[in-house]
Amino acid sequence: AQESITVNIGSSHPEQNIWVYAMKNTFQPTVDKILAEAGEYEIDWSEAYGGTLYKYTDTREAVQDGIVDVGMVGTVWEGSTMPLQNVTYFTPFATADHKMIIEIFDDLNVNQPDLAKSWEDSNMVPLSSLITDSYDVYATFPVNAMSDLQNRKLNAPGTSANWLQGTGATPVDGALTTYYTNIQTGVTEGTLSFASGILPTRVYEVAPELTRVGIGSMYFGELAANKDFFDGLPEPVQEAFREAGKATSKAHGEYVAELAAKAMDEMQAAGLTVHELSDAEKQKWVEGLPDIVQPWLDQTGDAGKAVLAAYFSALRERGATPLRNWDEGR
Amino acid sequence: MSESSIQEPQQAEGEVIPPFGEAPVGFVLGTVTAVLSSVGTLWIGALMALIVADVIGRNFFDAPITGVAEIAGHSVVAIVFLQTAAAIMQGRLTRADFLFRRIAGRSESSAAAMESLFCLAGAVVFALIAWASWDKMIAAYLRAEFFGVQGVFTVPTWPFRAIIVGGSIVAALAALYRAIHRTPLPTGPEQ
Amino acid sequence: MTSLEIGFLLIGLLVGLVLFGMHIAYALLGVAFLGIWMIRGSLDLSFRMLELTAYSGISDYLFATIPLFVLMGLLVSVSNVGRDTFEVAEALLKRMLCGLGVATVAANTVFAAVTGVSIASAAVFTRVAVPEMTRHGYKASFSSGTVAGSSVLGMLIPPSLLLIIYGVLAEVSIGSMFIAGIVPGVMLALGFVAMLMALAGLAPRFVFADPKAAQERRAEAGIHLSLGEIIWKLVPIVLLIVLVLGGLYTGYFTPTEAGGIGAFGALLIAIGRRTLDRRRLWQVMKQTGTVSVSILLLLVAASFYSRMLSIAGLPNAIETLVVESGFGHWGFIFVYVLVVFLMGMILDSTSILLIVVPIAAPIAQGLGFDLFHFGIITVIAVEIGLLTPPFGISVFTVHNTLNDPGTSVESIFLATLPFIAVMLFVLGVIIAVPETATLFLR
Ligand code: NA
Ligand code: NA
Repeated sequence: AQESITVNIGSSHPEQNIWVYAMKNTFQPTVDKILAEAGEYEIDWSEAYGGTLYKYTDTREAVQDGIVDVGMVGTVWEGSTMPLQNVTYFTPFATADHKMIIEIFDDLNVNQPDLAKSWEDSNMVPLSSLITDSYDVYATFPVNAMSDLQNRKLNAPGTSANWLQGTGATPVDGALTTYYTNIQTGVTEGTLSFASGILPTRVYEVAPELTRVGIGSMYFGELAANKDFFDGLPEPVQEAFREAGKATSKAHGEYVAELAAKAMDEMQAAGLTVHELSDAEKQKWVEGLPDIVQPWLDQTGDAGKAVLAAYFSALRERGATPLRNWDEGR
Repeated sequence: MSESSIQEPQQAEGEVIPPFGEAPVGFVLGTVTAVLSSVGTLWIGALMALIVADVIGRNFFDAPITGVAEIAGHSVVAIVFLQTAAAIMQGRLTRADFLFRRIAGRSESSAAAMESLFCLAGAVVFALIAWASWDKMIAAYLRAEFFGVQGVFTVPTWPFRAIIVGGSIVAALAALYRAIHRTPLPTGPEQ
Repeated sequence: MTSLEIGFLLIGLLVGLVLFGMHIAYALLGVAFLGIWMIRGSLDLSFRMLELTAYSGISDYLFATIPLFVLMGLLVSVSNVGRDTFEVAEALLKRMLCGLGVATVAANTVFAAVTGVSIASAAVFTRVAVPEMTRHGYKASFSSGTVAGSSVLGMLIPPSLLLIIYGVLAEVSIGSMFIAGIVPGVMLALGFVAMLMALAGLAPRFVFADPKAAQERRAEAGIHLSLGEIIWKLVPIVLLIVLVLGGLYTGYFTPTEAGGIGAFGALLIAIGRRTLDRRRLWQVMKQTGTVSVSILLLLVAASFYSRMLSIAGLPNAIETLVVESGFGHWGFIFVYVLVVFLMGMILDSTSILLIVVPIAAPIAQGLGFDLFHFGIITVIAVEIGLLTPPFGISVFTVHNTLNDPGTSVESIFLATLPFIAVMLFVLGVIIAVPETATLFLR
C-alpha cells in the first residue's frame, strides 16, 4: 500500500496570484503524478493559501519556522534578513526577459555558494524561482524625454524608489492597491509597475499612458520547503519535489508571459497608449542613476560582491546586455 | 471595556498608585506601568504629527516622508505593548461581566476565586508571548534586522521586539498582581 | 478527535469563558494557543504563531486608524461641537412635531460623522439634549431613550470603530466600508425621525409628561439663532466632515491619513475654542491610549484565534454544513442576525464582532453575499445590542451621565423599544436591498 505523507502548503497571497498560481496548479499535481507512478508514497496536502495563516510580511518566517512545510517566500520583503536574493532590485536595466531570470536563479540558488548558504542558514530548501515581468512607467503623461519626468510624483514603493534617483521625479510610497486612488486624486501622477501585476488594479483607467522603459524583470522570491521537513522526507519524495520545482519554474515563466501579453491586449483595448522611450533617452536615465548598488554592497560585503559577479556573468552568458555594468570595478 | 470606558474625558479615572509604604509592589508596578503607558500616549501624538507632516509635505512641498506606512504600522506594536500593562493594572481590559456580577452578588468568595483564575490565565498568556518573542528579539539585535529599504530608509526592528518582550513581562506581572489584589471586583448591578 | 471536533470544542470553551467574565483578550489568546497545540500536535508551532501574531500581526498600517479616530472623537467631544450642533438643530426644528426629539436625532447624525463611537454621542447628548427636552415637557425617560437610541448612529455613519474592526476581521477595505455605511446611516436617521413624529402624534402620553402643556410650549419662542450664529456654530463640524469624509470618498486620504488629519483638525478646533488647556489635552490623550489599546489588544487576540480556526478548518466545515443544511442565503442571514441579536443582549459590540466575523464572513461570501453589504448587516445587528437589556451599554451610559434618581434604567430601556423596532425594520430593508450598502462603492 502507499504510505501517506501530510504536507502543509501555503501562501500569503491567493491562488490566482502570479506567484502562487503554479504552486497550486503545477507543483502539487506534478508531485502527485510522479509519486503515483512509483506507487510507493502519496501526499495528503493540507492547503492554507490566501493568507489565512500569515500575511505577506511573514513568508520567510512561515517556511523557516515550519508554520507551513512548503510555501511562497517573498525575499523582496526580506531586505534585512536575506539581502543577497535582492540583487536584481539594486541593478536595474539588466534584462527584461523574465524567463532568463528564472533560469539564472534556479541555478544560482543551488550552485552559487553564498546564495546556497543563505537558504541553508534560513533553514529552507529552494525549489523554484519566482519573478516579475519587466517594470515600466504607467502615468498620466508619456515619457518621450527624461525632462518629462522632472518634478513628477510617481508611486515607487520599497527598493524601486532607488530607480527614480537622479531622474528629477519624486518617489511616493504605495502598494498595488493604492495606485489607482493615488493617481485619480493627484497624490501621484503615475507608477512604476509590471504588466501582469497592474492589470487587475485597473490603473490604466487613470494613467492611460504607458512608456516602455525596460527597467527589467526582477527576482521576487522562491517556492521553498522547510529544511528540517525536507531532510526528513524519503529520498524518492525529495526527488519528486525537486522535479516538480523544475516544472513549476517552467509553468511560472509561461504563466507570467501569457498574463503579461493578455494584460497588454486588454489594457490597450481599454484605451492604454503605449510609448517607447528612445535608446538615447534610456541611456540618460541609466547613466543619471547614482551608484545605487553600493549601499547594498556595503550591507552584504564579500558575499554581495560574489553574488553580483555571478549574476552578471550569468546574464552575459545567456546573451543579455545589461545597460549598465553594475559589477564593473567591484 | 472598549466602549464602556469611553466617557467624557473629565470623567476618566487617573491611575491610582498606592503609596510605597502601604504596598511596595503595587507602587513599583503602578509606577512602571504608568511610565510605559505615558510613553505610549505620547507615541500616538507623534504618529498623528507624522501623518500630518507627510500629507502636507507630499501635497505642498513635493517632499513626501518615506516609509510613513511602515513606521505607522510598527508604531501600533509599540503603542499596544507599552500600554497593555497599565490597562491590566487598572482593571480596564474588556470583559463581559454581566454574569460575573450576579455570581459576585450571591457569593463574593467564588467570584474572587474566579477572578484570580482569570488573572492567572492572563499572566500565563503574557508570559507565553514574552517567551515566544525572546529569540526573535535577540536574533533581530544580533543580525541588525531592519524594515525599510537599504539606501532609502531603514529602521532597526529590535527596539520594537524589545517593547513586545518587555511590555509582555510587565503585563504578566501586572496580571499576577491583579490575581492577588483583586479589588475592585466588579459586583452588584452595572454602574 | 478530529481537528474539527477540537475546533468546535474550543469555540464552546471560548464562549463559556467569556460569558463567565474572563477578560476577552486572555480568553481568545489562551484558547487559540491551546487549539493550535492540540490540532497540529506541536507546542513549538503555537509559540511561533503567537510570536508572528504579536509582532507582524499587529504592525499594520490599517490598525493605526484606531487610535487616530479615537483621538479625533474625544477631541470633538471636549470642544463643545456637540452642544453647538444641537443648538442649531433645536433652533431650526423645534416647531416641528416632536421637534426636540427630531433635533436630537439630527444633531446625532451630524455629530456621528466626526466621531467613531456611540458612547461618545450618548454621553455628549445626555448633557445637552435631555435637560432641554424635559424643560419643554418631554418625559425624562423618553428624552433619555431618544438620546440612547439615536446614539447608535455614531457607529454606522462613518467614521466608525465597528466598521474599522469589521473591515480588519473580514479583510475588506476600510475606506469602502465607511462609504457603505453612509446610506444605511441616513436611512436609520430618517426612520427615527418618522417614528418620533408618529409617536408624538399617535401616542403623546408615551412622549410627553403633560401633552397639552408641551403643545403650548412648542409655540413659544425659545432659543433663537441668527443666520450668522448658525454658521459660526456649524463651521467647525462641517469643515471636519468635509475634510474627513470628503478625503475618504475621493480617495485623497487613506483611512489612516483621514484619521490623522481629522484628529489634527479637531485639535485645532478645540484649541481655537479655548476648551483645551494642557492638563485637559493630556487627559484626552491618556484616554485615547486607554480606549485604543483595549481595542487593539482584542484585535491581536482575535487574529490569533482566527488563525487557529483556519488551522482547524472550521470556516470551511461550517460553510459546508450551512450549504448542505439547505438553509440557503435567506435562512443563513436570518439565523445569523438572530444569533448576533441574542449575543447583543449580554456581550459588548466589539466582542461579538471578534467572535462571529472570522467564522461568518467566509461563509457569507460563499453564499454570495457582498462582504460590504454583509458588514453593514452585521454592524446594525450588533448595534441593536447597545439598546437591549440586560446589558445595553448605550442605555447605561445615558443613565450614568444623567445621574437622576427619578429616571430608572428600566424606563430608559422601555423608551428605546421604538428605536429597536426601527433598527429591525431598516435592517430588513438593507438585507433585502444590497444596493443600500453598495450603491456608492466603485
Ligand atoms: Na461615526
Ligand atoms: Na444588549
